[in-house]
Formats: sequence, structure tokens, C-alpha cells
Amino acid sequence: MTVNQFLILGALLFSLGVYGVLVRRNAVAVLLSIELMLAAVNINLVAFGSLLGDTLHTGHIFALFVITVAAAEVGIGLAIVILIFRNRSSANVDELDLMKW
Amino acid sequence: MNGSLTFLSVAPEIALAAAVVLLLLVEVTFKPRAWAWAVVAGAGLAAGTALSAWQWVAHRGADTGTFWNGMIAVDGFAALAGLLVFPLAGLGLMSAWRLAASQGRRGAEFIALVLLAAAGAHLMAAAADFIMLFIGLEVFSLSLYVLAGFTRERVDADEASLKYFLLGAFASAVFLYGVALVFAATGSTTFYGDGGIADYLAGTVIFRPGVLLAGLALLLVGLAFKVSAAPFHVWAPDVYQGAPGGVTGFLAAAAKVAGFAALARVLTAVLGARADDWVPAVAVLAAASVVVGTLLAIVQDDVKRLLAYSSVAHAGFILTALVAGRGGVGDMWFYLATYAVQVLGAFTVAAAVSGDRAGRSPLAHWAGLGRRAPWLAAAMTLMLLAMAGIPLTAGFAGKVAVFRAAIDAGYLWLVIVAVLATVAGLFFYLRVIVAMYLASPEEGASLPASPAVGWGARFVLAVAAAATLVFGIAPWPLLEVLRDALPL
Repeated sequence: MTVNQFLILGALLFSLGVYGVLVRRNAVAVLLSIELMLAAVNINLVAFGSLLGDTLHTGHIFALFVITVAAAEVGIGLAIVILIFRNRSSANVDELDLMKW
Repeated sequence: MNGSLTFLSVAPEIALAAAVVLLLLVEVTFKPRAWAWAVVAGAGLAAGTALSAWQWVAHRGADTGTFWNGMIAVDGFAALAGLLVFPLAGLGLMSAWRLAASQGRRGAEFIALVLLAAAGAHLMAAAADFIMLFIGLEVFSLSLYVLAGFTRERVDADEASLKYFLLGAFASAVFLYGVALVFAATGSTTFYGDGGIADYLAGTVIFRPGVLLAGLALLLVGLAFKVSAAPFHVWAPDVYQGAPGGVTGFLAAAAKVAGFAALARVLTAVLGARADDWVPAVAVLAAASVVVGTLLAIVQDDVKRLLAYSSVAHAGFILTALVAGRGGVGDMWFYLATYAVQVLGAFTVAAAVSGDRAGRSPLAHWAGLGRRAPWLAAAMTLMLLAMAGIPLTAGFAGKVAVFRAAIDAGYLWLVIVAVLATVAGLFFYLRVIVAMYLASPEEGASLPASPAVGWGARFVLAVAAAATLVFGIAPWPLLEVLRDALPL
């Protein structure tokens, strides 16, 4: 089995996520970009898990854990974004500049 | 003992989780007074501490035992993390008690989050598999994100919370990518035992280590974020400044303890065979942290922000111990334990001076504190002198210990950088002390009402002062004991 295509897809997705975190202004879009990074991790884990073919299926199980925890993370993240939006009527991360240096 | 499903190995986490569930159930069912929260939380933390103490007595200095199919490690290292983290959470709750009580019925959630954070922190230290480490990291981090923004009507607390969350989640994703690559290179996510990562790396010559090294680097970046080591520290000042005063001390102390416990086990025990690869990287991180933290602390006018940059510098000092590998872990624990108490004490004073709910603590609030509240000023002075590393305080003993570890490992240049940073650091610590004793409040300046200190905060300050002095004057017994707390 060759895994190169999965690893390249994972690396591209991860880079796309990093790019999104760095340039997107809307907090929800940043959150989505972080989800892309986690998806890339999952692709890698499942691909390596299949390649190594270990009987415990560590890679697949790990991916399930990542999906579950990511759901919890998004729940808390969106709650914080809503809080910010209520207090300022904006979810633009560039405007979060009360504290600097 | 690998594979046996014994509940005793995770008993501290069970005790804490049970306390959280009980607390929330009691809260919605009986709507009790605040003292009932204290009873449940105190019982959970006391049980966690007692179970960790039992594990310490049974396992100190012995080989690491793994349970739950190699998921959980029971050893002196994990037990000591419990003995540090659970009492620290108790002190953090006392320090934050007025804040929790001022939140009405939401106070129970606040306490539950502190307990969950403590359980997650202990799980990070006791993890014997990257899956467990990840879960502990997330339980811990998610609790802290919410705690940082707990006073939800205050915009700077919200901002702190969002910044902490976005950067923390980003760091978690980077960490996970590193785990995936290490898994690819070694074929396992388990640390110990046959076929575990440590076993594989010790027994195999890897001819093309690119994937492993990339994974190692990403792991290091992810964990360096959590302990706020430069250049991954940018979240710390904003979070510590914006978070409500009462809880900042716990945020700062717990993040350091949990992050460094995970870092120490992963680096020294799991990746110990690749020490030649990660030690130079850790040395560079340490040097960058002490320099960046010290230089940026000098220009701050807000005491909480100043303490945040000082915590970046302290992350560097603690990393200095880790360049010695396993030999430095005992020194790391000593520095970590004493610093955690000092930073908790310092933020407790800041909360008393500027308010439990307030984020900012400008230097103007501190003018003339020596006359307005002599005991608070004395406690703060002691904490600052200890952080600066003045002899006869625990900070000095800790610095000597970590510097000696680094010199023994052949990193003299790092120690020279760290000593220079220590000297430069005196400037900003003394600036706060000068403001407290020599400056007078400006005419017409709106100072917060006279500093209010609850009984919990007083107890925290008494413990912090006692620990700082006792372990400053006689550090050797503790240093000797901590040498048994190695991850094997």
C-alpha cells in the first residue's frame, strides 16, 4: 500500500489551515481553519494506521478521539465567539486590541 | 502489569471527576450556600492529594508501571505531579474564592472547572500514551479557556479568553500533527513497554530520521506554547492581563506545572534516545525565553502583564534544567514547585490590590501600598524577591539548582545568558517594590478602594511566604526527595 497521496493531502490541508489561521479576520473562519488542521492530522493518523497495519488499530482509534475532542473544542470556541459578538457586535479578531505589548 | 485494568492507577482523576459531578448535581438539586461547594471541592482535592501521596510512597524511585493497556503510567513522577497540582488547585480556589462567590450560582461551575483543570493536569503527567496525553491536555486547556473569560460581561476578559482559545487550539493542532509524525516514524503512540516508542528508539537505528525529527519539532512547538516559552509566548501577556484577577494565579501556575510535566516525560523518558536532537532545540528555546521575557518585562507598566512576561522568563529558566535530560528533572521539579507557589502568591496580591474581577493592575494602583496595606506589600516583596532570585528565598535555590544542572550538561553559554537575564530582571522586580514603598499615590488618582483580602487569600499568602522562606533557607531535603521523581 502506498500512502504518499494521503500524506500530501494531509500536508496541504494542514498548510491551508495554518494559512487560514494567520490571514482570516473573522474568528469563526479562524476556528474553521483550526478544524482543517485537525482534519489533516486525522488523515495522517488513519493513513499511517493502515500502512502500519497494527492489530490495535492505534491510528484509527486516535482519529476517533481527535474528532470527539475537536467537537468539544468547537463547542467552547463558538461559545466564546458568541460572547465576544454580544459584547462588541463584531467577531473580527483584528479588533481585539484592548491589550497590546 | 501491562494490560491489567486497575482503577487505583487513575484513582486521583476519578476522585476529582466524582467531585465535579457531585458538585454540579448538588448545585442544581439543592442550590446550597457557597460553603457546600467548598466542602465538596475540598473533599475531592484532599482525596486526590491523599491518593497521590499513597502512589508516591508506593512507587517513588521504582520503575514506571503502566496500566490500562499502556495508557496510564504510575510512578514517582506522576505521583509528585499530583502532590503538586491538587494542593495548588486548592490554593488557587482559596485565592479565587471571593471571585467565585461573587458569581452567584455560576460559582459552582467556576469551582468545577478548576477541579477539571487539576484532573487534566494530572492526566498529562500520568499519561503513558500520546492519546492520553492529548486528552489530558485538552481537558486541562478547555477548562482554562473558560476560566480566563469567566467574568463574561468584561470585554478584556472575553478578549483574553478568545486569544487563549485560538492560540491554544492552534498549538494543540500543531502538537497533534507532531504526534502523527512520531507515530509514523515509530509505529506506536505508547511510551513504554515492548514496541513502545522509547523501546523502539532505543533499539533501532533510523537511517532516514526526517519524519521523526519533524514530528519531534512540532511536538516541542506545541508543548512550548502551553508553557509560554518564547517565541511561542505571545498569548501569555494578553491572557494574564485580561483574565479576572482572582483566577490568573491559578492559570499561570497550573499551566506551567502541567506543561512542564508533560514536556519532561515526553522528552527525557520517551525521546531520551534522541536527546542529541532535542537538547540543542530546548537550549535555544530556554535562551530565547529568558532574554525575551526579561527585556519585555522591563518596559511594562501593568503589574499583571509584567508578571506574565516574567513567567515567560521563568519558563526559560525551567527549560534550562531540561537540557540536562534526566539528570535535570529533579531540579526542574524544585524550580517548578517553588515558582508555582510564588506566582500564585504574586497574582493573589494583584487581585487584592486591583480587584478580583478586574483584569488590569496598572503600576499606579501599587503606589504607596507599603503604607496602605503593609502585610500585602511585604508578601508581594517576598514573592518578587524570590522570583528575582535573591538568596535565602526558594527562587535563589531553584536558580542555583537549574544552573548547576545545565553546567553539568555542558551548556555554560546558556547559564551565562540566564545569569545576565537574572541580573537584568532585578530591575523590573525592584520597580514594583519601589512603587509600593517609595512612591506616593498621585493626587486625585482614582485608586481602587482599600485592598480587600479574604481569608482564603490570606491563607494562600501565608503558605506561599512560608514555602518560599523554608525552601530558600533549607532546600536540600526537598531537592533530595525530588530526585526520586524521575520518569523512567
